[in-house]
Amino acid sequence: MTSQSGRSQILATWQEAFTRLNANQPGITGLMNFTKAWKFAREYLYPIDINNPSTKVYAAHEVRTAFEVLGKARRLAAIFEAFLEDMRTQQHLITRDVNHHMSLHEETSDPRAVADLVYRLTEWHSAWEPGQEFGHQVLSAFNHTFQTHVFSVLPASFSSGFKSLIDMTLQPYLDKEESRSRGGEYPADLRLWAGFECLGMLERYESLISSVCYEAIEKHVWDKCARSWAEPELVNLREWITDCIVPWMLLPYARGARNSEEAKVMLQGVGARFDFHMCKTLCDLRIGEIFDIIVDYPDSKGALQDLKECLQRVDQRSQLVLALRRANARRLLHPGADTKDILAQYVSIMRCLRFIDPPGVLLHKVADPIRKYLRGRPDTIRCIVANLVGDKESGDSLADVDEPVQPLSQVQLEDYSDPNWEPEPIDAGPDFRKNKPSDTISTLVSIYDSKDLFVKELQVLLAQRLLLVQDGNFDNERRNIEILKVRFGEAQLQVCEVMLKDMTDSKRIDQHIQTQNECVLHSTIISRHFWPPLQGNKLIMPTQFKEVQDQYANGFAEFKPDKKLHWLPQLGTITLEVELQDRTIEAEVTPLEAAVIGLFGEKDRWTTEALTSSVGGTIEESAMTKALNKWVNLGVIKENEGGEFILLEIQEEGGAKPTASRQAVMEEAPSVMTVEQQQAEQMKVYWRFIEGMLTNLGSLPLDRIQTMLRIAPGYDKTVEQLAAFMEAARREGLVTVHGAHWKLNR
Amino acid sequence: MKVKIKAWHAIAQWQWDTGNTDHDEGDGEGDVCGICRVPYEGCCPTCKVPGDDCPLIWGECSHVFHMHCLLKWIGTPASKQQCPMDRRTWGTCSIPKQHILFAKIITVTAERKVPPQGQQGQ
Repeated sequence: MTSQSGRSQILATWQEAFTRLNANQPGITGLMNFTKAWKFAREYLYPIDINNPSTKVYAAHEVRTAFEVLGKARRLAAIFEAFLEDMRTQQHLITRDVNHHMSLHEETSDPRAVADLVYRLTEWHSAWEPGQEFGHQVLSAFNHTFQTHVFSVLPASFSSGFKSLIDMTLQPYLDKEESRSRGGEYPADLRLWAGFECLGMLERYESLISSVCYEAIEKHVWDKCARSWAEPELVNLREWITDCIVPWMLLPYARGARNSEEAKVMLQGVGARFDFHMCKTLCDLRIGEIFDIIVDYPDSKGALQDLKECLQRVDQRSQLVLALRRANARRLLHPGADTKDILAQYVSIMRCLRFIDPPGVLLHKVADPIRKYLRGRPDTIRCIVANLVGDKESGDSLADVDEPVQPLSQVQLEDYSDPNWEPEPIDAGPDFRKNKPSDTISTLVSIYDSKDLFVKELQVLLAQRLLLVQDGNFDNERRNIEILKVRFGEAQLQVCEVMLKDMTDSKRIDQHIQTQNECVLHSTIISRHFWPPLQGNKLIMPTQFKEVQDQYANGFAEFKPDKKLHWLPQLGTITLEVELQDRTIEAEVTPLEAAVIGLFGEKDRWTTEALTSSVGGTIEESAMTKALNKWVNLGVIKENEGGEFILLEIQEEGGAKPTASRQAVMEEAPSVMTVEQQQAEQMKVYWRFIEGMLTNLGSLPLDRIQTMLRIAPGYDKTVEQLAAFMEAARREGLVTVHGAHWKLNR
Repeated sequence: MKVKIKAWHAIAQWQWDTGNTDHDEGDGEGDVCGICRVPYEGCCPTCKVPGDDCPLIWGECSHVFHMHCLLKWIGTPASKQQCPMDRRTWGTCSIPKQHILFAKIITVTAERKVPPQGQQGQ
């Protein structure tokens, strides 16, 4: 039964198929027609070998009839199946060509070989392609099969070859001058681009094409902008893209655009990508150069302008911070750099980063290590203060001349009732303080937590300068102090005010004394507790000088009966005239030098030791040697073999010629103790306490020492300072440390 | 050889002449005012400028104070017009001549400022 029904079913199917193929023709004529049409169509579609092309020409109506027959019999799908099958059998022809051209390319690495391959493949493609009349589906199936095969046989070296080919097409566009001379006309190889498109290479190798473009942009940016900072370059670069890259971009990206409007729309996406890449490249370049850009500021404003714009487009802020911090660490914050230079660079960094990023987040991040480093330098304060008072040598470069003088800005608390309140920038660190863009000096002063240090250093500096004043003209200093008062506040500078008052008073007193009793001596009379400790050892002046001093002191006592003068004989300057038998020498000398020559007036020959004891015995040997050298150099005395110095009443032949060993110039000792020296002095006192403690109690931990020292009058050091001091003592071998316990070393 | 001084610019500190010459010459901290513990050459806590603007006052008892400090002390009822150091009745010394004048001023102000009943508390 089943076989019966099966048979009838097969029969029915057979009958149905026959009827369809026979197309209701009598007998099998229909079937014959169909077979003819099938054969014809198969032959017509067959992928030929273009190397020996058949000369056969197919008449259009024949083709149409054949396909109509096939269509009626609903066998079109089958015939295309058969066609694709034929393609597969013929694929080796293409493979052969691909291998041929690629091996040629690999040998010569000439991109033209790749171009030839593309032409050849296009030829294959057009030879095999079924006509447009077969509809979209058939064509895409064909394209798919064709491309699949081509891509599967392309060797790995094709992508690099393709890239160099693209590069070759781009090159003519890059030369701006040339493109101008051509008036925007390019020898575009349209056939090549059409080939790319029909082979589907534009989509497949899109990333390669854009990478070629990226590389061209990078190269251009590097060539044009590296180390040229004066003018903003971004505008020029954008112009370049429009002039040179965009015409080329029309080829791969805006094919098929019918008018410029359409092309514009098609280029928008990819153009934005290229613009971004350009900004990024420029940004990277500038970030790499940032340190030098800052050094060159303000001549590098153009570069900063670029960087600012690029940073808005490309988020490279963290890279900028990182790069600048690294550059600073390598080039600035090392022992070889002058504090002055570090400060100058810091100020430039401030200005530059404020320009790039007005809220100051970048600055805050970059400045931190610099500030930390500066805090560790002993002469930072001095440099800043020297700058505050406009020291001539250090230049007045840190503060802008046109910057208005204003009080040092304090840390401002946020005012939340402010209607214009804005939150902190998004990338601000946790300890970011949104200070108003304050002036340079405030920022520098804020490196340190307290202003006292500055005030102290300022006193020292002021004292040094005032003591050098001889003609009573210190208007400059007064002006500076007035300016600083605005910054630091009146109370902080009270001491400086007293110092200035001493100067005025001295001048008045001196004038009075001079009218009463004229004297060659003019003095600056200072208030002891308001001036920084003055250096120098006690000096006893020879009688001749002492008389002058006494005379002046008497004059003073008459004028101010309740006061007396206490001379600081080691300070000041004296202009002397030394009359010798054959010559007269005038010289401006220090008191010690004057004392020495005064002593030679009493006796002709002296040893260094005798001189030292005659002036009080506390003069250091180096100072004494220096004083003697002065007179040796002036040819007034000379040293004989016995180490004695002899007065030369009559000039010796060549006597005035200083000997080489005598020429060694010693550093001028500043007459005012610097802050560090003062601190060291202070610590000396406390060392006695510590010594006593450790003697009596054996070994002590640091905390104990600190607690006990607090009892000592005037002790204001922190544990850290004490630790540093103890560490210094250990280095000198005075104490040893076991665990956390300190012990005297004996 | 003859050495002639043409010009000399010297530096000096002023000191009050407290009649105390056996002290080392300016090396130590110097004497301090017995009331405010600030050196004589400094200034009393209410002053900012030392020297003639904050002078000293010499007592007959040989004690020396900042004038402002002492006047303030004398002005309080607790002082009983006595020197704070030795509790002798304060008298301003006239040795530095110009201070005779101050002595008068002090006596006058002291009398005016201290009413008799103010002394009962002590």
